[in-house]
Amino acid sequence: MTNFTSLTEACDAVRSFIQLCVDDPHAAGFGELALDLFAFQFAHNTAFANLCQAENLTPETVGDWRDIPTVQTRAFKALDLTVLPEADRETLFRSSGTTQVDRSRHFHCAETLSVYHASLRPWFAGHLVDESANRLLFLLPELAQAPESSLVHMMDSVAKRLAKREHCFAADCQWRIDGQAAVDFLHDCTTQNEPVTILGTAFSFVHLLDHLNADAMDFQLPSGSAAMETGGYKGRSREMPRTKLHQAITTKLGVASGRIICEYGMCELSSQAYDGKLGQANTAPRLFRFPPWARARVVSPETLADVELDQVGLLQVVDLANAGSVLSLQTEDLARRHADGFELLNRAELSESRGCSLMNLIHA
Amino acid sequence: MPEQPLDYFLADKPGAQPTHSLITEASQTLRRNRNEYLATLGNEQIIFKLAEVANLWRSPDYPLRQIALDADPEETGFPREVLAAGLDACFADWTQEKFFMLLTQEFGDPTRLQSFASQPNRTYSMVNSPQLIAHIAPGNLPVPVFQSIAFGLLLRSAQFVKCASGKSLLPRLFGHSLHFVEPGMAAALEIAEWDGGNESLESALFAEADCVTVNGGDKTVESIRQRLPLAKRLAGYGHRVSFGYVEKQANEVMGTQTVISHAADDIVAWNQHGCLSPHVIYVEENGSLNPARFAEMLAGELEARNETMPRGPISTKESAAISTARRFYKIRSANNAGAALWESEDSTDWTVVHEDERQFQTSPLNRFIFVKPIEHIDEVLHVLEPIRQSVSTVGLAASEARMRDLALPLARWGVPRICPLGQMQRPPLAWRHDGRPPLGELIRWADLETA
Repeated sequence: MTNFTSLTEACDAVRSFIQLCVDDPHAAGFGELALDLFAFQFAHNTAFANLCQAENLTPETVGDWRDIPTVQTRAFKALDLTVLPEADRETLFRSSGTTQVDRSRHFHCAETLSVYHASLRPWFAGHLVDESANRLLFLLPELAQAPESSLVHMMDSVAKRLAKREHCFAADCQWRIDGQAAVDFLHDCTTQNEPVTILGTAFSFVHLLDHLNADAMDFQLPSGSAAMETGGYKGRSREMPRTKLHQAITTKLGVASGRIICEYGMCELSSQAYDGKLGQANTAPRLFRFPPWARARVVSPETLADVELDQVGLLQVVDLANAGSVLSLQTEDLARRHADGFELLNRAELSESRGCSLMNLIHA
Repeated sequence: MPEQPLDYFLADKPGAQPTHSLITEASQTLRRNRNEYLATLGNEQIIFKLAEVANLWRSPDYPLRQIALDADPEETGFPREVLAAGLDACFADWTQEKFFMLLTQEFGDPTRLQSFASQPNRTYSMVNSPQLIAHIAPGNLPVPVFQSIAFGLLLRSAQFVKCASGKSLLPRLFGHSLHFVEPGMAAALEIAEWDGGNESLESALFAEADCVTVNGGDKTVESIRQRLPLAKRLAGYGHRVSFGYVEKQANEVMGTQTVISHAADDIVAWNQHGCLSPHVIYVEENGSLNPARFAEMLAGELEARNETMPRGPISTKESAAISTARRFYKIRSANNAGAALWESEDSTDWTVVHEDERQFQTSPLNRFIFVKPIEHIDEVLHVLEPIRQSVSTVGLAASEARMRDLALPLARWGVPRICPLGQMQRPPLAWRHDGRPPLGELIRWADLETA
């Protein structure tokens, strides 16, 4: 067991492990590093340590990474879950939300951001980069316009890494699509016969499609074009079932259905899951997979123990790339467990409640 | 009761899909049957039969009750013990005396249902009942459906009850008991099921009905309001929320354990699945019963109740909502961040959260209760202002004298129902749902003016 004496040491260890996994996806050492990070976070993240002590699950008593106490993602709204002293909290990732109190806060510094980048880049590249050197159309604001969005941060990192490719960020600080800019860019891709990858949230795709519909316009984007869609509407557009949205992306933009990839990520995590790879046939149901340095578990909400294969439960993620906050998270998402990934259940299907309440009025 | 298959209503026929023309035809038959028999009955006859039905349901070995209790909780929504307690509470109130009291409350003189009766101003008035009422039944609780059917019978109206798909078992069993006791009355009742929002089926029903009652989400009520022709009456009941309030001397007057036990009664009744169930219990500060101590004692009581009346299994989604809220409060509790949590072990059977934040909070239900300190009744009214229009019931624990003092500001503020804590899910038969007259809402008056 390694006792990290500084955040630098912890971050270095995580980056090395990520590199190890990039070279060999079956590299050993996940559990050990998870426990080392747990001890480090227990020592430096007070809010987390208090939870561990209340549950009597501390580095002294925990010998298996599965027993590391999980933090509900919603807790990021109420507590400062970080190992960083206040002076070092240089960057803040916030979830979207209408008021300050219902937005999560995930603090970063240069070192934790470098782990964030080390984590996101190879997994993104493995799923959304193939031999086709696509241009990139981001249906997102630029980093300067939305510095607190982890998704924008991620896409900025992708754009920098693929700097040789032409790209366009086609949304403003309010996340409103600049329809004309997007259309001009797509038009140029078509006339130049250069494939393009369009990346955005579900609602930004709906905005783009609405824009095309309003002008009775559609595209047959060059072969090799692709799309990355990440869930969530957050009331910013009408909601479309995922299959319908993907069909519309295919018919209105000419992106082959096998080249539409979904991403699952959140501001409280530093790694992302994808439900397919470009160039690889997708099978139904489409399964999400995290990189080897982040492990997903599907647990029974009743007992918090792993569910059996094919059963539905709450999704938990142990993400080693969360070096500076908490590595073990419990999400609010329901998933079905599969042998080699998880199936995310449509949030819309889950929203209906049997009881009598005003769920849309107030949330805990 | 003879052993025979339950095959009388449309919903009894598995796989039978109602059609537009079937609903039209059924509605016309119901109306005809009603005119021929139900409309000719007197109050006494109807009430006598309703009380007889209630008597059957109260009897532990009544076969239809047993079918209900033996049914898969997936189908009824409730485990055996919870359902049994709920049925008992409902039917205990169905006495002849209470039905007559209801008619008197609504119409002054029950004979107005059949003929003119004089009013003080020399005019005469009588009730003009709808010939056919369509009920859009709620999916969560059975009691409102039973009551709706009973009210429709009191008005001598033919009735078409539309249940959500897979949710008709309890209304059907109730309908069969009526059929057994009085086939002529049941001949004016139909029960069918389909997924709400089916415009073809519902337009047939709305065209035939004189009056539509809806219990459900606000969206359902709104959608039906928009589709209903202007001349039709609509009694729409959207979702409401309720809370408990413990006055600071209540424990001295009533005994601490009694107050705790009453709170638990309201939390376990129908596993909180109803507009009348509490989401939050406010406990006045500065009394001898500290709100945090109240929460801790309530946790102990809920644990004990789970032995005698288990909550039973719930859907993964419902359980996930509880688990999510628990993990959130757990870490806040560990950080003394204004919250403390008590929870059942290795299950989501019950949860008590004590939270300093006074804002009203919707609970994930299924025996998950918030306990919050409050200084004074005025503070509750202040913090609840954003949901003033949505409050249904306040359950009060207080001495009788204090109860009146507290009720006045609550009523003035707009709470339609104030009752003792422990009675929140046991409204009297004649209660005014959302403050509206239960029968008066469904009828029109006919006035006769004399010279």
